Amino acid sequence: MENERLQRMRKTTRLHLAMEAEETLQRLEEFPERPAAMEYFYALFRRISNGDGLTSLAGEGKVIATMCMQVPQELILAVGAHPLRLCSGANAYDQVGAEFMPAKSCPVIRATLGMLKVNYSLWGDNLASIVIPTTCDQKKKACEQLTNMGYPVYSLEMPAGKDSDLARYYWQESVKQFAHDLEGLAGRRLTAAGLRGAIGKVGRAAALFRQLHRLRGNRPPLILGSDLFLVYNAYFFDDIERWSAAVEALTAELEERRQNGVRVTNRRAPRLLFTGSPPIFPNFKVPVLVELSGGIIVADESCSSTRLLSDAVAYDEAALNDMVPAVADRYLKPCTCPCLTPNGDRLRKLVTMAGELEVDGVVYQAFSGCLPYEMERQQVNEVLSERGIPMLYVETDYSPEDSGQLSTRVEAFIESIKARKRRKVRTK
Amino acid sequence: MKYFGGIDIGSTSIKLVLIDEEKRIVADATCPTGSHFHHNTMTAFEGMLIRGNIARHEVAYIFSTGYGRKLFKESDETISEITANAVGAAGFSREGEPVQTIINIGGQDLKVIQLDRQGQIQNFAMNDKCAAGTGRFLEMTARNLEVEVDQLGELHHRARGVPLTINSTCTVFAESEIISLLAGGHGKEELIAGVHYSIAKRVARLAKRFVGEGAVFFDGGPARNRGLVDALEDELMRPVIVPPTPQITTAFGAALLAMEACEDPEEPERG
Amino acid sequence: MNKLRRAINNSDLGRFRFYVQLLFFAVLIYGGYLALNLGNQLPTFACLYSDLHGGSCYLLGFQHQMVTPWPEMFGGRGIGILIGLATFVAFFVVFNKAWCGFICPLGTIQDWLSSLRSKLKIRPASYSEPVFQRLSRIKYILLALLILLPMAIGNSFFGLPKLSHDWGVPFCMICPGRTVLPLFTGDFSQLAIDLSSTTKLTLTALGMAITGLFFLGSLVKPRFFCLFCPMSALHYIFFRAGLLRLTKDGAKCTRCGNCYRACDVGIRAIADDLESTNIVKDDCMMCGKCIEVCPEDGCLRVKFLNLPVYESSAEGFFTRMERKNNGK
Repeated sequence: MENERLQRMRKTTRLHLAMEAEETLQRLEEFPERPAAMEYFYALFRRISNGDGLTSLAGEGKVIATMCMQVPQELILAVGAHPLRLCSGANAYDQVGAEFMPAKSCPVIRATLGMLKVNYSLWGDNLASIVIPTTCDQKKKACEQLTNMGYPVYSLEMPAGKDSDLARYYWQESVKQFAHDLEGLAGRRLTAAGLRGAIGKVGRAAALFRQLHRLRGNRPPLILGSDLFLVYNAYFFDDIERWSAAVEALTAELEERRQNGVRVTNRRAPRLLFTGSPPIFPNFKVPVLVELSGGIIVADESCSSTRLLSDAVAYDEAALNDMVPAVADRYLKPCTCPCLTPNGDRLRKLVTMAGELEVDGVVYQAFSGCLPYEMERQQVNEVLSERGIPMLYVETDYSPEDSGQLSTRVEAFIESIKARKRRKVRTK
Repeated sequence: MKYFGGIDIGSTSIKLVLIDEEKRIVADATCPTGSHFHHNTMTAFEGMLIRGNIARHEVAYIFSTGYGRKLFKESDETISEITANAVGAAGFSREGEPVQTIINIGGQDLKVIQLDRQGQIQNFAMNDKCAAGTGRFLEMTARNLEVEVDQLGELHHRARGVPLTINSTCTVFAESEIISLLAGGHGKEELIAGVHYSIAKRVARLAKRFVGEGAVFFDGGPARNRGLVDALEDELMRPVIVPPTPQITTAFGAALLAMEACEDPEEPERG
Repeated sequence: MNKLRRAINNSDLGRFRFYVQLLFFAVLIYGGYLALNLGNQLPTFACLYSDLHGGSCYLLGFQHQMVTPWPEMFGGRGIGILIGLATFVAFFVVFNKAWCGFICPLGTIQDWLSSLRSKLKIRPASYSEPVFQRLSRIKYILLALLILLPMAIGNSFFGLPKLSHDWGVPFCMICPGRTVLPLFTGDFSQLAIDLSSTTKLTLTALGMAITGLFFLGSLVKPRFFCLFCPMSALHYIFFRAGLLRLTKDGAKCTRCGNCYRACDVGIRAIADDLESTNIVKDDCMMCGKCIEVCPEDGCLRVKFLNLPVYESSAEGFFTRMERKNNGK
């Protein structure tokens, strides 16, 4: 009985997912001057959303799934497993999750748990573990829910702050233990050479990411921010070397555009910085609205985009006893997740980015149910208004119902920035 | 003579305004949005031209705004109702006391806009996904009490007793609350006053963050309702400015922007 | 010019440092062969006890001068003392704390021992920040002692009897520079305990123990001895005048901690201090490891006067890491 219901649910959810993915992709494709190198990413997301989703990636080798960017990817790669970040942006899965999750929970967790619930039987034996760092409360509780569903869950303990030596020590020990346990999960030993190679792979991706970041900040803009969210999202699950190759092609094309003066918006389009709850495909509601309304996202600060690869591991000696703590540090010290306290680094990062990329305004997305982001709004607003940078705060979720309201708000925000810029030109 | 048009296509009604080069309103019109809104808009637009004795080609530029702004193909440009509203309302600033807070109650939404002393938008807030405290709420009340929406203000002032408390903010729940209050033998007038205070309280809660210096401006169709205006002044604990035809401020703002766009053409998209 | 600067910033400072250290090691230990002498006021551990030295440490002469009785110190001989100090400071300000990171032969030996340790795959000890802070006080105590003890030979403190001349150069007696550096010229004579007096016995015995600790320590902890070095304490009095500077732009720092972890002497401020621009701390030896591992453009810089010499850059970071990740 239950089985039939679940099957029907899976069928409907699959359809819904394909529908919303297609809708988002089509909206992206309608923008003019799309770089040809983006084709790879469109095709990738079409494939993933049209079928069994992420489970289809579990074919080759062991998979270590994660539910946060805080899980040291280098270690997973070093033991020859495929890291797969599960965080979902699908309203279809959110609706499944809503059946058993509290109404006020975060849509990211709700959708991810919904996906795992409905797709339970699709994962083969390859799924060695789902690693969840103890960041926000909802992720912590997700550990228990997933264990009850029957998944192998690994709770990676993380401190609540990062400033003290104690926190750093705690996290390093936690990661050391994880490195040790990974050997068992993946069935392969962690060697210095293996880890060095993995750090190299991620380092190359990070180097490419920096190039991309520099190019996207170009004046005039060479690529839409919404397109880049797709690129960063692909990093969640794509093979890291394939991803790097695709990004290399993209940066080459953008470099060419820069030299030929090709651009995606008009010269005075408001340059915006996007921050807050992560835009995860297919939920690109807010970024797409922003760019449809004539703004351009030239920088962003979220755990599904810039934060993924802003930092890179540096070790002194190529021995495990130095490399593992080095890897651990990279996931804690520069982190700007609002679940950490204090989190002044996020404010500093935003202010620096806003200055370097000469942004005209900030769009702050907070998912209703994500209290840390909702609460940090106050501080972000303060530091930005001190510097005269306007901010639009949008509280939303995965449902498309608020699109009408949102578009009015976003457009008004962009119009007000345009008016401000016009006034500046006039008074010059 | 050149004229500029502003068309505000809202959820319940369409407002049209024509201004001349001196920024004076030469004609305006209002019609219900209905299901054939394009047809309705065109009819109202043409009627307005005839009444103002103006030829179509004399209308140099048209801005449309409101929820339906993108669906109306006759306009030259679109603008969000928040910007249009701000521009329209800033025109009502008095010497030494500029309008710095705008409260707009529409058919389905509720907006508070904060302006700086120069009339530029500083911040704004809207109610999310819900028609509570909007024009729709008043319509529902009128329907249940079997009176016209236009009579609500007058009935409010006839109330002798204490306004009744309406607890629900949700329109659907409030409706059943009103029905049970009526069934309980309470007076219509007190009930209407109660509804007005319930809306005003909700508006004041949203507006409180923004109300500071400068005058408070109240517009949108429901601002014609004097009872609601009084209730709002009570809840905000300060006077509000209500323009003579509060429903057309946004369309007027759009017309002003149309005129500005003509004078100051924006740089071409590409080049 | 820009190309050159880019090439420099992308380069491997560590390798450059290795060769500079080697060069200065040769000059300071074997300079005597070529009759090379940089003087006796060097702000680094080149040792007079080593016969072929190409220059020697200021601390030896400085301790000697401290024996001077008060009346003479404020009289004619005071000028000599001041000239000595001035020469020391003049040497020091040119390279600032880079004397420790690039020139000091004792530092160089420790770095060699560290690479030996790394090759033997021995895990380096790591101290927590409070431990570092406690240890870093010791060098100031040593500095105070190496001034006060000789002073107590020429003068009487609080009416106490004057100390014997055996206390003349107390720090040299316990300094591993005296025992270790002559070894490189085949001179093992300093590896002995002087039995001529109780004071000398105590001091030289302590010196032998410290020499043992020096080797053992630097095989466990990089730059172990530097944490206690009174020369470093003396440097720190003048570091603000340094022409060579290590600067930080706090606005560009992400506090990722790469620099803190790379730092052999555990200076946490390098990662966490966002206010200071001059970021040299008392244990700093300006080795530049922090700059090499900093992935932010222009966040950490070495400047001479105000000219940038070497600075952190994303490109340099990734170039160096790539080399390292490929096992080179």
